[in-house]
Amino acid sequence: MNAVPAKKGFGPLLLIAPAAILLGVFLVLPYLNIVVMSFRIPGQGTPYAPGFTFANYGKFFADGFYIGQVVNTLWIGFVTTFACLVLGYPVAWQLARGTSAFRALGYGLVLSPLLVGIVIRSYGWTILLGNNGIINRTLTSWGIVDGPLPLMYNALGIVIALVHVFLPFMILPIMSAIQGIDPSLEAAARSLGASRITAFRRITLPLSLPGIQAGCILVFVLSLSAYVTPSLIGGMRVKTMAVTVVDALIDTFQWPFGSALALMLSVTGAIVVVLFGRLTRMKWKA
Amino acid sequence: MSKPFFTAYCLVIYAFLLAPILVVVVASFNAGAFLTFPPQGFSFRWYVVFFNNEVFMRAIRTSLWIAAITMVISGVIGTMAAMFYVQYSGRLKETVRIAMLAPLLLPEVLTAIALLFFVYSVGIGTQTMVGMIVGHVLITLPFVFINVSASMESYDPSWSMAAQSLGAGRFTRFRRIMLPLIKPGVIGGCLFAFIISFDIFTISFMLKNVGTSTLPIQLFDYLRTNFTPEAAAVSTCSIVLTLAVVVISEKVLGLRIHRF
Repeated sequence: MNAVPAKKGFGPLLLIAPAAILLGVFLVLPYLNIVVMSFRIPGQGTPYAPGFTFANYGKFFADGFYIGQVVNTLWIGFVTTFACLVLGYPVAWQLARGTSAFRALGYGLVLSPLLVGIVIRSYGWTILLGNNGIINRTLTSWGIVDGPLPLMYNALGIVIALVHVFLPFMILPIMSAIQGIDPSLEAAARSLGASRITAFRRITLPLSLPGIQAGCILVFVLSLSAYVTPSLIGGMRVKTMAVTVVDALIDTFQWPFGSALALMLSVTGAIVVVLFGRLTRMKWKA
Repeated sequence: MSKPFFTAYCLVIYAFLLAPILVVVVASFNAGAFLTFPPQGFSFRWYVVFFNNEVFMRAIRTSLWIAAITMVISGVIGTMAAMFYVQYSGRLKETVRIAMLAPLLLPEVLTAIALLFFVYSVGIGTQTMVGMIVGHVLITLPFVFINVSASMESYDPSWSMAAQSLGAGRFTRFRRIMLPLIKPGVIGGCLFAFIISFDIFTISFMLKNVGTSTLPIQLFDYLRTNFTPEAAAVSTCSIVLTLAVVVISEKVLGLRIHRF
């Protein structure tokens, strides 16, 4: 050990080396590999055979089934994101601005579901939404409905459970965006005669747009790639793209085709996110 | 919107967030053979069934082991990376941060698929736990990084320089100056890595080998074919375990865990 302060040498690089190697070898290379895999030829008995082909993508576009499933998955993602925004915004506002003693408790309540495993939370929804579940039992015993409402094994059930799972990811970015807005701006608008609603619409809402944008992108991307919730709630009847992809890989070992499906879903999702980013930025300037 | 209405709206959302978790806990004490509501009496019967079910007990042991190993590896690598990030990254600061958070930003299902193909291509395979642990380390690394780098924000490099001028070597400086200061961040990050690893599903599901499974996988498999409250008892134990880790770290150790 020498005591020359200026000398840094390789010491600092050694600190980042393990993380860099880990991310490079086990994240970057696998992601490149998945692209290569999507062009491989499906093998007999083995996951893939030597040589390359475009047939996996051809199969995706030729079969309306897969395109339909991507559209379904995107639709579920849109509805989930919109529902999270509508349900989450008031809560985010209350957490950021509320004066009540409930604030700390509310923050804990928003974060606590994140600490419970996704399998358990989806399981909770099967107990609530099933044909013999709590909601249907209660509604039938009160005489509100005659038979059980179809709440599970359909897109509605998937959306309800996904909204629950991803709501915190909408609330937290919006909350921090609102916290960053100077409350005196709103007070100034109010003192100039703006009603509470006008002040919110003209001041708070536009200024919290970055938080809304971040929350929407996060929830949308997470819902597209969700596997556990659609698989447990949707059962065999409704399958999202992520479920189809995982089943294609685990059950039937269609690695090249599964990769192509996964990439098509990711690319579509990325395009939507970029378009959404453009659109909101245009709104911003207007 | 009037104020009482607004408060009521928020309370409904909080109830919505808690409902499925409460339902699972209540269901676990059901005396009946099926998940009926209201429960048919109070009983610990399903906990007895669960504790005597070797399949679930083995899955819990596997999960705890993997979480512990993941925590140690992720803790060391993440702490080192955070030290680099705060002290030496210079102009590359933003790049380092995004790279370290990448596993969190990429869809877990895609990472899981990519890793599965990769461990097969390079011959690691899924006969051992290596692939699964690598996946867990990847996912938990950002949490250690966030916590440790947050705890280093108030760190002043001149303290280390003062120690150096008094003749302390690099390792002594780390052990006597840096470590005591970042200890809360390191412990918080490690505990959070443990919790996250304990709950990871998709990565484990893709990278498990035949015969061994973690608790979330075992629960998932069970739920596809069974509807007894045993699954609720398993879930409740898992929730209590996670809660215990959080309460111990925040109340007993007085740590503030940074979740994001």
